[in-house]
Amino acid sequence: MTVVTPGERLGLAGEFFASNGTVEVGDHIYASIVGTVTTTKSTTSGELDTIQVIPTKKTMKSSIPEVSSIVTGKVLRVNPRMATLSIMVVGDQPCADNFQGIIRVQDVRATERDKIQIYNCFRPGDIVRAEVISLGDSRSYYLSTAKNELGVILATSVAGHTMIPISWEEMVCPKTKAVENRKCAKPVAIGESSTQ
Amino acid sequence: MVVLPGDIVPIPESEQTVRVGPGLRQDVANIVVAKAGILKQSVTGDRVWVEGNQRRYVPQLNESVIGIVTAKHVEGFRVDIGGAHPATLGALAFEGATKRNKPNLEIGALVFARVCLANKDMDPELDCVNPSNGKADGFGEVKGGFMFKCSLGLCRSLLDPKNPFLQHLGAICPFEMAVGMNGRVWVDAGTPKQIIVLVKALLGSEAVPYSKARTYVKEFKSDLTSVE
Repeated sequence: MTVVTPGERLGLAGEFFASNGTVEVGDHIYASIVGTVTTTKSTTSGELDTIQVIPTKKTMKSSIPEVSSIVTGKVLRVNPRMATLSIMVVGDQPCADNFQGIIRVQDVRATERDKIQIYNCFRPGDIVRAEVISLGDSRSYYLSTAKNELGVILATSVAGHTMIPISWEEMVCPKTKAVENRKCAKPVAIGESSTQ
Repeated sequence: MVVLPGDIVPIPESEQTVRVGPGLRQDVANIVVAKAGILKQSVTGDRVWVEGNQRRYVPQLNESVIGIVTAKHVEGFRVDIGGAHPATLGALAFEGATKRNKPNLEIGALVFARVCLANKDMDPELDCVNPSNGKADGFGEVKGGFMFKCSLGLCRSLLDPKNPFLQHLGAICPFEMAVGMNGRVWVDAGTPKQIIVLVKALLGSEAVPYSKARTYVKEFKSDLTSVE
């Protein structure tokens, strides 16, 4: 098992198909992360074998949001047209560095999209589960919470306590009994995977 | 009873629900004072609030305010209402406004508007319609006259229908007034001299109790009715 470092030349571009952890520059394939090189024989004849670098440390297994992947992030700010998120986890893999995502007001839910008051759906500091709908512009990914299992999964009330969802649109603070409006995600039972 | 921030308000044990008003905050089991002022309670005892006086305005939903237009955009105007953040007034938030027929407010114009969105995380938003019937009902651009700034307590007392200063001043000299809850009041009268005298009278009325209103207003009578 050879351990490689970023920049090491692994092979020719024509010989292998460059997979995770590698990058094809010009005629050669180079490693882009620290890890062990593995080659996998292709299943269909005529196709190239895959070469990839498997990271040695678990922390190096960072993930990048792709279209239709489920991401979890924290709301940074809201304005009447959108909510801005800092994407921290893709699937169940944390990101090495936080990405920025936007949930536009028409992507918050599937019904009555024009009557949304963004302040009744998200507030700064909420943890939200969303789906990537587009790679977006240079600044942020475009996200959507227009499904039952997407939305706010953790929020703190004005009194500082973690709130409990009581309906699709409301959460209650257990200590002060104050109700606040959020676009709640369907709670997942313990043992079920959230990505199912 | 004068209260200071941090004081705990004793709420007597009773069956009725007590509504906690401005200036107070709930801290799990206690009601704690958040602003300095006088603690007031409704006659039936179901509402408690603090009446304080300050000059800095904090936008609240459904309050009428007077703003100054500072910028014009395609989708609306940026308006200064004296709070921490500038407010936005949508171009379509007027009676009878359509994409083709938008209001033409200049930078520096005065607008009497209603706060339609106010919370601690976003910039406040205004509109110039009465939400129940969609009509202007006095909201919109305010032309002429003069606007002065005062404390929030004076604005609230000027909105009191039983305010004797307004009745006595109006009997001497007719005038038009728009009171913004953000510490701004607009006055218009026949001549500029009358406007200035009225402004002085209204500003000074803050320190005078209602019982002495008549004698206080008498001092301004000669200035308001003089011809030159």
